[in-house]
Amino acid sequence: MDRLVVIGLITSLVFVIIGTFWFSYSNETLDVIAERFNASESNIWTPLFPDYEIPGFEGNLMMNVFLGAVFTILIFVIILVMGKILKAQK
Amino acid sequence: MHIPDGFLDLRICALMYFGTLIFWIFAIRKSRQNLDEKQIPLMATLTAMFFAAQMVNYPIVGGTTAHLLGGPILAITLGPYAGLISMTIILLIQALFFGDGGITTFGANVWNMGVIGVFIPYLIFFLATKITKSQKGMLTGAFIGALIGDDLAAIFAGLELGLSTTFPYSIQVAVTAMGLHHLFIGIGEGIITTMIISILWKSRPDLLRLQKIAPSWMPDPITFIKEG
Repeated sequence: MDRLVVIGLITSLVFVIIGTFWFSYSNETLDVIAERFNASESNIWTPLFPDYEIPGFEGNLMMNVFLGAVFTILIFVIILVMGKILKAQK
Repeated sequence: MHIPDGFLDLRICALMYFGTLIFWIFAIRKSRQNLDEKQIPLMATLTAMFFAAQMVNYPIVGGTTAHLLGGPILAITLGPYAGLISMTIILLIQALFFGDGGITTFGANVWNMGVIGVFIPYLIFFLATKITKSQKGMLTGAFIGALIGDDLAAIFAGLELGLSTTFPYSIQVAVTAMGLHHLFIGIGEGIITTMIISILWKSRPDLLRLQKIAPSWMPDPITFIKEG
């Protein structure tokens, strides 16, 4: 399982790099429809990293990769801890 | 498919939070009962992997882009309740930190991508494997499940938007646009899901045979496949 985790995390990093350098442009169906009807978002929350970028480092691809990698690891840890807590409550 | 704040009225938001809450309660209860030591690192790895995979946007028709959802693979390998927990964490991080999706619409987004996008693929995969009792049937079920699951998730998003008084287009327009476009995304999701399940079946069948966190009337479908 340990080997699988390492392979999975390396694959995740590859996804982050590909998604940052080559396939970052996003224009989803919902965005297109919303634009057609002049609908606009009304955010009630200001995200820390809008558009997956660190404020002050917009357009810096290396920082975007770093951010993606940090949150990938964070999600891995959250699920790991959550799983252990749920299992302990068995 | 992430619906931002402001696109759904509070009535629809509340309804979707309520529907999702019921599934969250069952997911937590079932995970407490059935989650074992082997599943936890696999669940953590797959969740991290699909968060990263959602950053890869590939072009589809009409200048639009799509990304992998991951719900079908999470459901098939871990079971739909575990898949729902994984998708909830992904969507929560995306909404809170990146502004991808919303806070008021979080329940609706989890319903679409974490309930419909996870339970429907698993149900179809389960039925196909149970009926055919073959590897071919299992892979066909994985493909059709991912395709229909993705498209139904988009159709639900269209329904919510169409029913909402804050968004200026009809159910017909919303459902047609979302459903048609996401058919292409579903095909991509189906191909990738089938490929990954096929690779796992050949190289690590033990991972597919791990106990699933699923409703008790949907036991692990892999057990139906005849040996050899």
